[in-house]
Amino acid sequence: MLETSAVAAEALIPPRATSERVRTLLTYTALLAISALFFVPFLWAVSTSFKTLPQTAYFHLLPHPWTMAPYREALSKFNFALYMRNSAFLAAVITASNVFLAGLGGYAFARLRFPGREVLFLLVLSTLMMPDQLRMVPVFVMLTNWHLVNSFASYILISLVTAGNLFFMRQYFLTIPKDFEEAAKLDGAGYFKTFWRVMLPLAGPAIAAVTILQFQGVWNDFFWPNLLLQDTAHYVLTTGLAQFVFQYQTQWNDLMAASLIAIAPIVLLFIFFQRYFISGVVSAGVKG
Amino acid sequence: MRTIATRLRPGKRGAATVGGARLREALVGYAFVLLPMAVFGVFFLYPIGYAIYISFFDWGIYGKIASVGTHNYHYLFHDHVFGLALKNTLFFTFTVVPIQMALGLAMAIVVNQKIRGRAFFRSAFYFPSLTSSAAITAIAIFILNADGLLNKIVGGHTPWFENESTALWSIVGLISWTTSGTMMLFYLAALQSIPTDVYEAAAIDNTGTWRTFWKITFPLLKPAHFFVAVVSVIGAMKVFDQAFIVSHGTGGPNNSTMTMVLYLYRTAIYDVHFGRAAAMGVLLLVIIMAFTLIQRIAFGRPEVQ
Repeated sequence: MLETSAVAAEALIPPRATSERVRTLLTYTALLAISALFFVPFLWAVSTSFKTLPQTAYFHLLPHPWTMAPYREALSKFNFALYMRNSAFLAAVITASNVFLAGLGGYAFARLRFPGREVLFLLVLSTLMMPDQLRMVPVFVMLTNWHLVNSFASYILISLVTAGNLFFMRQYFLTIPKDFEEAAKLDGAGYFKTFWRVMLPLAGPAIAAVTILQFQGVWNDFFWPNLLLQDTAHYVLTTGLAQFVFQYQTQWNDLMAASLIAIAPIVLLFIFFQRYFISGVVSAGVKG
Repeated sequence: MRTIATRLRPGKRGAATVGGARLREALVGYAFVLLPMAVFGVFFLYPIGYAIYISFFDWGIYGKIASVGTHNYHYLFHDHVFGLALKNTLFFTFTVVPIQMALGLAMAIVVNQKIRGRAFFRSAFYFPSLTSSAAITAIAIFILNADGLLNKIVGGHTPWFENESTALWSIVGLISWTTSGTMMLFYLAALQSIPTDVYEAAAIDNTGTWRTFWKITFPLLKPAHFFVAVVSVIGAMKVFDQAFIVSHGTGGPNNSTMTMVLYLYRTAIYDVHFGRAAAMGVLLLVIIMAFTLIQRIAFGRPEVQ
């Protein structure tokens, strides 16, 4: 019975099938065209980064001969190895402190009862709306007075924890059933131990999202390093790239190698942790 | 043994311990939020007030020079470059936001279909959003230079970023390309939360695809439109990195890429005129808040997320 009705239905469809097929073909053509539009600049950058400088004047997609020299030059001669270390150091420290402090604060706002909790939480939320550009001048004046400009401490201090991360952690903690903490309490665990041993491990997905987005945020950040870390020894990848553009703009192969060095680690992260990127971006929202 | 002992202890002391436990919980609560609140207080909340305070002073590298009342604001209202920066920023916002919304929505609808390889297309569309503004700007400078790939394709010789009439448009294109993927993710999440029976009803009524989209999907996405519009406008009003890098920090050629934040940065760092720069920050916040309010009215009062 089922089979015959399926066949009958199919017999009815043929008139539409051709147009359907054309539509599918058009859809895929359009999709591939858009994807190409999105990818071609990257492909061109990759290709250029393996060319010798004279070759960059010609429009061959495949370098001939291939050379790794642009990467070597970017890393050693133009100091991008140092900038990468600086970026990695700042991203690691700031991410760790954000996970810890946003977790600690988020747990307290989600679970512990203390007078003034709601007011304090409103204060946290109010900082979400504030553009960094408003606090730029006062923060720069303060850090200048404290003689912290041009030290990593300045950037770390102002980024120790963000309201967005704290809010995100709190929302996640609210979804965890209270049974776990009560069991821990019965076992005689104190508040910190409960937080550290029970709640944080249960918040794995939230921690993953905060870690990835915060790491990416610091790694890609240009605004604050450009303001606070203005001497060569403290350049990060993004500010180092900008300075490279200003000074040696037409060394295209080296510039593309340096750009790809800045991009590659985040792309790798994305390939392995795509899920967290997407859920994190969607729920954190504000970072878009 | 230890667990039994701790479990027994509260029982013995009775009522006094309930209060004690509460006090302890409160103290622990304060201790846990102390450091985060200190960071927010010192580096976020206090600076708001401080920015407003500084904006009423002639303030240089060694601090206060003189109280000038609202002079910094008066100055900005009559400042030719600030006018240009405001105009450029508004132009940028009014071009980028619709493009981002339309592209983001179109891509979200495409990758929400049951098509082969949709995970691939989703990643492909999101890909440019992953990269740092500095790196992507470097690549764009390469592609849009006078001898670059784009000119090779279109057969011209325009230095897109160095030409007064094309520079800002080029930044519009660059940012549309690199941030639409993020808008796509917001729209995609909203699309996936629309219950499927709505579409089944439309299918039964034999409503066409195009009509279904305009009559059903588009209105149902209202909260998403609001959210994407707000995020997109705030991002556009703060545009800085790309303008700074393509113009080597000058906002040129002839101020054509001077944005509000770039002018703010230049005023603070190059001119060391903190009072005026702080006033610009305050104005920027006021403009962003006004935009958000207008959008809220325009889109009704949807609950965001």
